[in-house]
Amino acid sequence: MSERPFALRASGVTKSYGGVRALAGVDVHVRAGEVLCLAGANGSGKSTLIKIISGVENPDHGTIELGGTSAQRLTVKEAVDRGVQVIFQDMSLFPNLTVAENIAMSARVSSNARWISERKERALARSVVERLGLRLDLDAEVQDLPVADRQLVAICRALALDVKVLFMDEPTTALTWHEVETLFRVVAQLKEQGVAIVFVSHKTDEVLDISDRITVLRNGEVVADGPTAEFDHASLVEALLGYSATEDRVLSQALAAAAPALEVEGLAATDLFADVSFSLVQGEVVGLTGLLGSGRSEVAEAIFGKVPTTGGRVRVAGREVSIEGIDDALRAGVAYVPSDRLTQGVFLDQSIATNLVSATIGTVTRRGGVLDESAMAAQVDDAVRDLAIKIGEPTDPARSLSGGNQQKVVLGKWLATDPGVLILNGPTVGVDAGSKAAIMEILRRKASAGMAILLISDDVPELVSICHRVLFIRRGRMSGELAGDEITESNVRERLVT
Amino acid sequence: MNARRRAWLTATTAATALALTACGTADSGTTAPGANDDGGGSDSGDRTIVNVVKLAGGDWFNRMEVGNQEYAQEHSIRVDQTAGDDASEEKQIAVLNDLIAQRPAALTVVPNSPESLEAVLKRARDTGIVVITHEAPGITNADANLEAFVNEDYGAHQMDLLAECLGNEGSYAHVVGSLSVASHNMWAAGALERAGEEYPDITRVADPISSEESQETAYNRTRELLATYPDIRGFLGSASTDVAGIGRALEEAGRQDDTCVVGTSTPAIAGNLLESGAVDVITAWDPALAGQAMLAAAELLLAGEELTDGTDLGIPGYESLGQDPDVPNSFFGNAWIDMTNENKDDYPF
Amino acid sequence: MTADVHAERAATSRRPGLAALRGRNNEGVLAGVILLLLLVMLVVEPSALTWGFAGDIIRSGLVTLALALGLLLIIISGGMDVSFTAIAVFSGYATVRLMTDLGIDGRVWPFLLAAAIGCALGSLNAVLVARYRMETLIASLGTQVIIRGFLLAFVGSTYLATLPPQLDSVGTTTIFRLGSSPVNIVVVPVALACVALALILRRTMFGRGVYAVGGDKESARRVGFHVARVQTGIYLLAGLFAGFAGMVHVVLSRHASPFDLVGMELNVIAAVVIGGALDRGGRGSVHGTVLGVLLVSLVQNSLVRLGISSYWHVLVIGLVILVGVAIQARSNARGAKRPRILEEVTP
Repeated sequence: MSERPFALRASGVTKSYGGVRALAGVDVHVRAGEVLCLAGANGSGKSTLIKIISGVENPDHGTIELGGTSAQRLTVKEAVDRGVQVIFQDMSLFPNLTVAENIAMSARVSSNARWISERKERALARSVVERLGLRLDLDAEVQDLPVADRQLVAICRALALDVKVLFMDEPTTALTWHEVETLFRVVAQLKEQGVAIVFVSHKTDEVLDISDRITVLRNGEVVADGPTAEFDHASLVEALLGYSATEDRVLSQALAAAAPALEVEGLAATDLFADVSFSLVQGEVVGLTGLLGSGRSEVAEAIFGKVPTTGGRVRVAGREVSIEGIDDALRAGVAYVPSDRLTQGVFLDQSIATNLVSATIGTVTRRGGVLDESAMAAQVDDAVRDLAIKIGEPTDPARSLSGGNQQKVVLGKWLATDPGVLILNGPTVGVDAGSKAAIMEILRRKASAGMAILLISDDVPELVSICHRVLFIRRGRMSGELAGDEITESNVRERLVT
Repeated sequence: MNARRRAWLTATTAATALALTACGTADSGTTAPGANDDGGGSDSGDRTIVNVVKLAGGDWFNRMEVGNQEYAQEHSIRVDQTAGDDASEEKQIAVLNDLIAQRPAALTVVPNSPESLEAVLKRARDTGIVVITHEAPGITNADANLEAFVNEDYGAHQMDLLAECLGNEGSYAHVVGSLSVASHNMWAAGALERAGEEYPDITRVADPISSEESQETAYNRTRELLATYPDIRGFLGSASTDVAGIGRALEEAGRQDDTCVVGTSTPAIAGNLLESGAVDVITAWDPALAGQAMLAAAELLLAGEELTDGTDLGIPGYESLGQDPDVPNSFFGNAWIDMTNENKDDYPF
Repeated sequence: MTADVHAERAATSRRPGLAALRGRNNEGVLAGVILLLLLVMLVVEPSALTWGFAGDIIRSGLVTLALALGLLLIIISGGMDVSFTAIAVFSGYATVRLMTDLGIDGRVWPFLLAAAIGCALGSLNAVLVARYRMETLIASLGTQVIIRGFLLAFVGSTYLATLPPQLDSVGTTTIFRLGSSPVNIVVVPVALACVALALILRRTMFGRGVYAVGGDKESARRVGFHVARVQTGIYLLAGLFAGFAGMVHVVLSRHASPFDLVGMELNVIAAVVIGGALDRGGRGSVHGTVLGVLLVSLVQNSLVRLGISSYWHVLVIGLVILVGVAIQARSNARGAKRPRILEEVTP
C-alpha cells in the first residue's frame, strides 16, 4: 500500500478567523486507493481543512500538494481540475433537477460546456451509476429521493469527473444501518479503482470499520495519526474527546416523597425515533445522552411540541398532556432551553430585561395588553440576583453579555415560567468553566426545590457531576441506563460509543 | 422603501423651497390685488397659490397649468403646480405636508383619493390656508369643492349625445375606468336614468364594465362585447383612454360606421379616432378652466367673500355656481364641453 | 414501522406514466384545468366558443406572454421582479418618441432598439442583484420607480396617439383570421421569443445555471458556477425581453403612452406562477408559462361572454388565480425534511 503515490499531501496548514485559530500547522496526507478517516469533534477544524483543500477558503500558511504539483492556494476550479471532489454534509445537490441532471452537472460545468444534450447527460449519468452497480431512477427529481439515494447521487456526481481525492463529510449522519452498508460497499469499490478517500466522521465504530488510516483533529491540531490497526475504541474516543477536567459529582438531595413529574411512554416520530419511554420524579436530575444525530435532541423537541409525534403518551405531574406547540407545553408546566441559544433562545438585539420576561409576558402585562413596567422590573431583578447574571443595565442588549451569561438569561427566561419539568439541551456548550459550575449549581438548587430536570448533553463530566440517572439513546431508540454509582466517566463514555 | 421615500421627500422639499424663495425675491416689488390682508392667511404681502394635482406631467394637468398661468398673469399672483411622482395618495400627502410648512395663501387640490387627504387638508386649513378641491365630492376638510358639473347631469348629457347619434334606438354598453371610481359610476347611472326617462328604445346590454383604466382592457372588453352582443350599436366611455380602446376595436372589426361611441376623453388621446369616425363625440371639462375656477374661488374666499348658490367666478362655465343643498361646501359649474372632429382643434389638451 | 416506511417510499416515487402526463411543473394539471374551464363554458354558453374567441384570447394574451418571458427567467433563478413593466413601457415609449422626434420610421428595427433599451435598463437590476447582492424584489422596487421617474421627467409624459406609419402598419398586418378575429403578425416574433427562451433554458449551460441558482445558490457555487455572472445574464436577458414586450404592446395598441402597463405586474406574476414557476425558485418552463398566460387570459376574456355581471369579475378572476397558485403551491409543498435518524428494524 505505501508504495502508492500520495494523492494529497497538505503540510503546515494554518488558518485563523479574526484572531481565533481554526487550524494550527496541520499535516494530512492520503494515498491513492487509501481510505483516510479524518476524525474530530465539533469545532476541531475538520470543516475548515476541507474548505481549504477544496479551494473554498485560502490558508494563511501551508502548502497543498495534489497529484505531484503543490500550491499555496487554490480556487474551486483548480481544485476540481486536480481531481478534488467534496461531498458536503448537506450534499449540495439541486433538489429541483433530476438525478441525471445532477450527476452530469459538475462534469458539464468543469468542461466549460456551453450547450447541453440531454442524451449525453443521461449517458454519462448511466455510465457512472452502472460503474458503481447502483439502481437509481435517472429521471426522478432529487427532492423526491430518500436521503440515502441522495447520498449516492452526490457520490455519482463526484465520480462523473475524474476524481482523485474524494472527501465525504459525515456521509452517514442521515443513513440507516442498512444504507450505511451500501455506502461502504461503494467506498470499497472506489478504493479499488484507485480513488483516495477522506472520510470525515466522529462515529468510532464506523471509523474503525472502514478506514486504512486515521487522523484525529482536536482544536485545530493533529493529536493522533496512524494506521487503523493501531487504534481501538478506547484510544480513539480518548483522542477525539481528550480528557476534560473532571468535575465533582455532587447530587442534589432526592425528595422523600417524590411524585412522578414527567412520564414518557412509547413516544415515536416518523424517521426520527421510536418506542422512547422513560420517567422522572420530582427533584430528579436525569441525563439523556447519545452521539450527535442519535435522536437525543429530537426527543426533547417532541416533548416540547416542536417535532410532530406519531405515537406514544406524555404525562406531566400524572396528567396526560397533548403538546402541539410551545403554548401547550408552557401551560402543562414544561420548559425547554434549546441547544442553539443564538438561533433559538436569545434575542441578541433585544434588552436583557426583554429577554428575561419574553416567556412570561402574560404575567407582566396588565389588562388591555399594556406592559406593567414595575412588575417587569421586579421579575428582572429577581432573575438577575437568583442566577448571579453579570450585567451592566437590564436595558443593555443581550449581545453585550458573555456566552455564559447569555445562557443564564435563557435559563432565567424559562425558570420564570416556574416549570415542573425543565428540559435543557446542551446548556453549557460554549460556556466558560466558571459559568458552567454556576449553572450546575442553579440546577441542583432547583432540583432540591422539587423541579424535575432532563439534561440532554454529550458532555460526559457534566452528566457525571449532576445526574441521578443517565439514559442512553442510539439511532432513535433507548439503548440503556446507568444509575447511582454506576455513573462514572469511563462507564458513560463506554456506553456512549458502543 | 423608507430610504426611497426619504430621498424623494428631501428632493421635493428642496424643490418647493427653492420655488417659494425665488418667488419671494422676484415678486417682492409687486403688490398683488386682493392681498390686502383682510382675509388672507399670508402676511408676506405676496400671494402664492399652489395647485396640487394627481400626477405631474400628462396632457390633462399640463393643460390645467396653462390655465393656472393665464390666471396668474391676469391677476398678478403666483401659482405653482406640483404633484407626486406617481399617482398615489401617500405621495400627495407628503407633498401637502411639505407645502403646509411653506404657508401658501391657498391650495387648489385634485386629490388621488379624497378620503385619505382629509387629515392633511384639515391641518392645512388649521394653519389658515384656504383649501379648494376639485373632483372630490363629499370631502369635508375643504373650504369648497368645485365640480365642473353635476355628475348625473353630465351622464345624462352624454346619453343625449349617444341617443342623437343612434337615432334614439339601439343597445349600448357603458365602460367605466373602475367600478370603484365614484364619478364614473355616477355618469353611468345618470346616463341610464336619462335613457329610461327619454329614450325607451335604448337599452344597456350589461352592468357597467370596468376597463381598469387601461386602453388595452377597454379594447379587449369591446371585442368581447361585439362577440356576445352582435347587434350592439352604442358605447359610452368614462376613463380618458376608454373611447380610444373602444374605437380601435371597432375599427379592427370594421364596425366604426354602424356604431356610435361617446365618452369622456381628450383630443390628444382620441383625436385621430374622431377623424376616422370610430369615435363620434368626446366630452370633457376643460382642465384649464377648472384650474382657473379653483383659483378664482380661492381668491374670493381670501378676499373675505363667500361662495353661495349663484356665485359668478368669472370663468366660462362657472358663471353661476350651483350649491349642493346637502353638502354646503360642494359647488357645481355647468362646464362640460363637447368635442367633435370639427371643433377638436380648439381644445389643445 | 417498516410497513410505514415502505408505504411512504412508494408514495414518493412517482409512477412514470402519470408523471409524464403531469409534467415537471404540473403543466399537465394546468392543461386539465383549462380544458375543464372550456368544458364548463361549453355547457353554460356553447355559443361563446368560437374561433373568434380563440383569436381574442391570443390577442389579449400576447403582451402578457411577452412580459412573462423575462419574468420567468428571474423567477426560476429564485428572484422576483416588479420593474419589468416599467422597463417595457420605457423601452416602447422611448423608441416611439425617438422615431417621432427624429422623423424616422421602420418595421423591424424598432423592436430591436426597444429590446436593446430594455437590456440596458435590465443592467440596473443586474448591478444591484449580482454586484451588490441586493434582495431581488427590493432592487426591482427601486429600479421601477427610478425608471418610471426618468421616463416621465426626461423622455416624455404625453400620450402619442399615432405611431410612425411603417411601425403602425405592423399593428394592422394580419397573417390570418380566426373567425372574426384577425391574428396579428407580431404573434410570430413572440412565438420566436418563446422558442428562443425555451432553448436557452433547456439546451444551454446558462439555462442550466438559471435552474441551479434557483435550486440552491450555494450548491451552484460549489459545483463551479459563477453565480454573479449567471445573475447578470438573467437580468440583462430579462430586460431584453421586457423591452421587446414593450414594443409588442405599443404596436398592438397602436399608441404609445408612458402611463400604460405599469400596474399589470401582478397579472403577469400570477400567470407565471400559475404556469409552474414558484417564488422559491428552481422551477418553471416556457410551455408552463404559456399555459398560465392562457388560463389568465381565458378567464379575463370570457366573463362578459358568459354574461357574468362585471361586479363579479374581479372576484372570479381572483378566485381562479388563487386556485391556480394554490394547486402549484400544494404540489410543491415538499419542504425540507429532517435527516433520518431512526434505524429500521431489519428482520
